[in-house]
Amino acid sequence: MKRFGLTLILSLFVLSLAATASAQAQPTLEKIKNSGVFTIGVRNASPPFSFINKQNERAGFSNDLAELVHKEIEKKLGKQVKLEMKETSPATRIPLLTSMSVDLITETMTDTRPRRDSVDFSLTYFVTGADFIVKKGSPIKGTKDIAGKRIGTQQGSTNERVLREKYTQAQLVTFPDQAAAFMALQQGKLDAYCNDAIQLWGLKYKSATPDQWVVVGDWISYEPYGFAMRKNDSDFRAVVNNALMEAIEGGEYFKLYEKWFGTKSDVPYPMNQTFKTFLLYQVVPK
Amino acid sequence: MSFDWGAILANAKFLLVQGLLGFGIYGGGTLRLAIPAILFGFVIGIILGLARLAQRPWIHYPAVVYIEFIRGVPLVIVIFYFWFLVPVLIGRPVPEYWVALTAFVVFEGAYIGEIIRAGIQSVPKGQVDAATASGLNYAQTMIHVILPQAVRNMIPSLVTQFIVLFKDTSLASIIGMMDLTKAAQTVSEREIKPFEMYLFIAVVYWCFTYSMSRFAQWLETRMSPDRVR
Amino acid sequence: MIFGFLGMTYEFKWSVLWAQPHLTWLIDGLLTTLRLASISWCIAVLLGIVFGAMRTIPFRPVRIVATAYVEFFRNVPLLVWLFFWYFGAPEAFPEPVRQWFIHHGIEFWSAVAGISVYHGARFAEVIRAGIQAIPRTQLEAGLSSGLSVVATYRLIIIPIALRLIVPPATNESLNLLKNTSLAMTIGVAELTFAARQIETYTAKAVEALTSAALIYLVFCLSISSVMNWLEAKFAIPGLIVRGTRAEH
Repeated sequence: MKRFGLTLILSLFVLSLAATASAQAQPTLEKIKNSGVFTIGVRNASPPFSFINKQNERAGFSNDLAELVHKEIEKKLGKQVKLEMKETSPATRIPLLTSMSVDLITETMTDTRPRRDSVDFSLTYFVTGADFIVKKGSPIKGTKDIAGKRIGTQQGSTNERVLREKYTQAQLVTFPDQAAAFMALQQGKLDAYCNDAIQLWGLKYKSATPDQWVVVGDWISYEPYGFAMRKNDSDFRAVVNNALMEAIEGGEYFKLYEKWFGTKSDVPYPMNQTFKTFLLYQVVPK
Repeated sequence: MSFDWGAILANAKFLLVQGLLGFGIYGGGTLRLAIPAILFGFVIGIILGLARLAQRPWIHYPAVVYIEFIRGVPLVIVIFYFWFLVPVLIGRPVPEYWVALTAFVVFEGAYIGEIIRAGIQSVPKGQVDAATASGLNYAQTMIHVILPQAVRNMIPSLVTQFIVLFKDTSLASIIGMMDLTKAAQTVSEREIKPFEMYLFIAVVYWCFTYSMSRFAQWLETRMSPDRVR
Repeated sequence: MIFGFLGMTYEFKWSVLWAQPHLTWLIDGLLTTLRLASISWCIAVLLGIVFGAMRTIPFRPVRIVATAYVEFFRNVPLLVWLFFWYFGAPEAFPEPVRQWFIHHGIEFWSAVAGISVYHGARFAEVIRAGIQAIPRTQLEAGLSSGLSVVATYRLIIIPIALRLIVPPATNESLNLLKNTSLAMTIGVAELTFAARQIETYTAKAVEALTSAALIYLVFCLSISSVMNWLEAKFAIPGLIVRGTRAEH
């Protein structure tokens, strides 16, 4: 009993000492310069943005864009920097960013106003909206059919929030990651899976049986993607944005888009004219 | 339900070379984590075991609190703690492998500390008396007389603890380290073949663990034939 | 304060723990953990007694079956078993059975299956070791003193067996309680899952994890304190009932 009480008291004491700690961190560019490593948050199963391919290597549109940011950082710092990729998920990415585990989240994170309270976003590099993916022949065609059905989402995603707040009649089932959710859909554990439309198209075309899946719905939310970084880090943010602007202006972005979404790619998704205009307008003059 | 051997064959190299051994672009690796973890854990364990038996309260009590805290908390939580705290304390991102290694060394250190303590206490008190009577001081007694005998007594328990550690490395997959379990998860999620993948790694784990436990039993028979039932 | 000089960018905010709905999540998580642990424990102990006893029966085929069960299940990590039971095993069931499970908490019951079968194998070892540790001489002495077999078991064998089994069984039971935290990987909303959820919504990882850690700690320390006290109170003077080796 004495040992029990002692352990409890000492543990509480040590932890309570930390109760008032807070301090300013090193700016990201300085940190990268000192450590020589630039760490980005990526996904394992979100094709074609960020995933692990059949050769068990990391690949994806977002991964390639992040490489461009990497080159821009090397140019800015004037030295070689190692690029490290770490797996993140909607549930873990903001805590991992604020706890210095990653420097930049370059997977499929939607830019929203509440999230801007915790992190800063780069300019928007992709736009999409949330839809549902269902098995062929499913009666679900849109939000009016989801009442009482098991709808899967990723823990911590904007889709989870939208369903939880606006479509309460649906039975929400959350998963730690897209892979687990899609597998559950495959195995009949879900009636539909809700995520951003482009990712659902990626899932459909990359799956073993693309004809078995149908993407339905009408963009129940607007999902603009941006790279996320720690707050109050304007120098780093300028570098990231410069990299993206250079890519759009110089055509690198469109080459990558053709590679991952072009007619010959695995996930054909022609570029919308409005989106192209939006991208070009984000490039401020040199 | 048909069993897809092809999926296993196509990915066996990734699962075994990257997942089990740890050679590849992802770092990680079950064995690459387990072996350093037990070695460093052993060092920490000896320090803790000795500290726990110390007379001075300012050495004894922190050791007790550390051991009791670690033994009362699930390993998953210790791993999550380090996942968030290590980069914060160091001030820069750290690959999952190092986070996992730190967490495992801290965790196993506590359990090995208890094994070492039991080992030291199992050495007959007469040894200590004889050593002191021969003129050896505390450090010399420990290093030359007590610890060698204690560790010898405890080798079967230590091997058993390594088996536990080997199985526990699967938890490193939760923070994304590419060990055998995470490799299987990656392939299973992409190809949608959970049955085949998890059965395969279950067999791999089983082969290692079963042989190690037979080895531990053989060791125990060899070292203390009187205690065999 | 204490970590300020390390240059951290972390602001501790313990109040997130008792803000609603976080507190509800924690409490629900704790209740789910207790529910998962108690149901799994009952099944595991049952399996342990059955298979542990089977391993001591002098009839070889029975012993082989029991040994196969124990060695098969305890040599694979529990996490792999959970993935197997949740993702893999349901595929082997016919569709209507699967659909029924899906609508009745498949995550929870897969976790119960995985945890109870795994710990059942470990309990079997504890029970077997306990039974085999009782020297035959006790039984012979009892019988030669004029007691019947039943009386010998009731008055001598079983009291010793219980005292032998309690320390490692308590150890195993606490391991089971701690292992319920693995169920979060297959979506069971238990205590560790709840802590992670708070961390997702508030980014306050240390506070959330510490609260879960302290709750586990309180349970483990109090259960082992009670068991230690019981063991000391009911010890038979002169009978050394410790000496079990660390089982994995």
